[in-house]
Amino acid sequence: MRCKVCSRDAVENDYCELHARAYQSIMKKYEVWKRALEISWKEYLSEIAKNPFTGEWAKEVAEHLLKGGEEESGA
Amino acid sequence: MVCANMEKYTLIITEKPDAAQRIASALDLKGKAKKMEDNGVPYYAAKRDKPIIVVPAIGHLYTVAEERSGRNYYPVFSFKWVPRYMAERGAKQIRVWLETISKLAENADTYIDACDYDIEGSIIGYCILKYACGGKDDIAKRMKYSTLTKGELEKAYAELLPKLDFALIEAGRTRHEIDWLYGVNLSRALTIAAKNWSGKYATLSTGRVQGPTLRFLVAREKSIRSFVPTPYWEIRAEIEIEGKIFEAEYEKDMIETKKEAEAIINACKGKNGVVESIDFKQFQQMPPTPFDIGALQSEAYSLFGYTPRRTLDIAQRLYLEALISYPRTSSQKLPPVINHEEILKNLSSVSEYKKLTAELLAKKELKPNEGKKEDPAHPAIYPTGNLPERVLEEPERRIWDLVVRRFMAVFGEPAIRQSVKVCINVNGQRFFLRGRQTLKEGWLRFYGPYVRAEEVLLPQIEREQKLKVKRVILEDKFTKPPPRYNPGSLLKKMEEVGIGTKATRADIIQTLYDRKYVRDERIVVTDLGFEVLEVLKNHCPTIVSIELTKRLEERMDKIQTNMEKRENVLLDAVEILKPVVEELKDKEKTIGEQLSNAIKRARLEERIVGQCPICGTGTLMILYSRKTGKRFIGCTNYFKKMCNTAFPLPQRGTVRPLGRNCRGCGWPTVQIRIKGRRPWNLCFNPECPLKEERRRRNEMQSVQ
Repeated sequence: MRCKVCSRDAVENDYCELHARAYQSIMKKYEVWKRALEISWKEYLSEIAKNPFTGEWAKEVAEHLLKGGEEESGA
Repeated sequence: MVCANMEKYTLIITEKPDAAQRIASALDLKGKAKKMEDNGVPYYAAKRDKPIIVVPAIGHLYTVAEERSGRNYYPVFSFKWVPRYMAERGAKQIRVWLETISKLAENADTYIDACDYDIEGSIIGYCILKYACGGKDDIAKRMKYSTLTKGELEKAYAELLPKLDFALIEAGRTRHEIDWLYGVNLSRALTIAAKNWSGKYATLSTGRVQGPTLRFLVAREKSIRSFVPTPYWEIRAEIEIEGKIFEAEYEKDMIETKKEAEAIINACKGKNGVVESIDFKQFQQMPPTPFDIGALQSEAYSLFGYTPRRTLDIAQRLYLEALISYPRTSSQKLPPVINHEEILKNLSSVSEYKKLTAELLAKKELKPNEGKKEDPAHPAIYPTGNLPERVLEEPERRIWDLVVRRFMAVFGEPAIRQSVKVCINVNGQRFFLRGRQTLKEGWLRFYGPYVRAEEVLLPQIEREQKLKVKRVILEDKFTKPPPRYNPGSLLKKMEEVGIGTKATRADIIQTLYDRKYVRDERIVVTDLGFEVLEVLKNHCPTIVSIELTKRLEERMDKIQTNMEKRENVLLDAVEILKPVVEELKDKEKTIGEQLSNAIKRARLEERIVGQCPICGTGTLMILYSRKTGKRFIGCTNYFKKMCNTAFPLPQRGTVRPLGRNCRGCGWPTVQIRIKGRRPWNLCFNPECPLKEERRRRNEMQSVQ
């Protein structure tokens, strides 16, 4: 099984080790963003995808999630 | 060449030619040693109680090598010490050098090792005496000094140590042998795996210290690349006092929700403030500790942007010119024996230091603020008091000045600083106005331009005073990812965790760049760096374990004090290495595939110049013509028949994309390096306004 973002082997949630770590960061931070800005999951993903401080892998995962239209649970 | 029938002489061996010349001149009664040469190898003849010949090495003349020849196999566990020309390509001159030393040794009756008094110096001297001088290591004496000043060299010659420091030599040999065993086996395992898979050769390396160092960098890179920022808000108020505007910060540094931030802003709108309290705090700022090499390298990096390697090279040059003491030291001590007063007196003839040294010399007692770190062989870095005999180049002058000012600063009084915190209440919301001021300069005066102390002076303010709030500013903020390491902070980190030595850390960082595992000054790990570490972590986690590296370092250090035996440390190191190498060999195919793909990606990455400014969607790359083999820059959209953009490139030298755009036209740029010429940056836009400007300037000049 390949990672949904790159060509590495997937290890968790269909992501490789590196993108899985970024995915976890994204999931973990959503609650903080929701409370701070009262925004939806999609708005959150768009915000972090264009934020200059977001790491490269986190951006790739956010863009992937936006394209795939995945729900908050990541399902 | 010295004649065979000449009177017997004392043969002194030094580490470098500059040191040989200094030592010979210092020991010659007339101060004029005679420079001689044999096959291009310089040596010096001096006359003192008896004739003296001082012959230099050029660093290490011997090295560890495998007993069997060939580079394409591993594991390798049998080794021997050989002249460098037998083990390294491009070390041919070492043969002549050793022949000259051997010839000079024949007519000597006393042998002195005057190489730098540290692990490396001791091994250099020991190997020469043992192998090139026919086993004279047993009878040789040792000269121990920390500066190349005449006084200290004469003293060191008069008080020779009766024998070589064999414990130091044993420790050094063990370090070289273990590092060689780890380096050669692991590096070959990686290189051979990649070559056998792809059929293409690329040098890959790792080592006992290199692996764990790369591990720090990868861990930081992972945190940065998977970082998701957190939003927060900052509020500041502009307060008008006596016609001047001061900025006060809101009592909470970070406001976590936009709602809360807006509520604060609304509460402050149109309101003025009242001073609720004023707190003064005085604090002492102790003088800095003297420079050890790591501290000098960090300071030079943060002040001048010099890499640790560059600082070490400059410091080494200053040492060889007897301007500063031996730089490869981990000591933060300045013992009285170096004669602090004498050094300050000598420095007082430099106009910039005159007043400062006079101030220190007027003190009853000169007591340096020493740090905890010690070095058994050398004190901290200090200026010798000698003044430059030539005009120093700017980087040399800067480092010398830094060492001098630091030396003076450590004798200074503590600085006394005061901070003021004014609490202003704006309709129930508190803001703090902060000031900072130096009350007593103390050591700050001596450190002068290198002090980083901010002064914020506030006007006279009283409690209950009403203050006008000009405006309240709300700023959207985000938390930032952890900072990238730079060569200076990485060196500090290696020092903190105790891996590598003061002599090797800078080189290890450089190797990471040379192997293309990392790039840029604010260090970015490349794909290749990631893959190499992943291979090591998956197949030999012990090798990149910081704990293991640190434990080995400690045991090797113990050999220096006879608390550990060389054989035991060496055997244990081999026991750890053996199963690792076996595992690498078993998994050669998988590892080879992983590394080959990473090398391929890295090579491709190296050729990417930037976005195509013509079509806007393609990528400009360095490409090679199939017909002529010539290189040029072309757009990747050419292959989709969408863009024909192409630019010629110089065919000689190397081309490296700079990763930044031209300031004149915004196009991507490359750097061209041709041997023997200064590298230059090239904007390949033929219509770049900077080119036009330069053309006009040249025309004007030729008209004039």
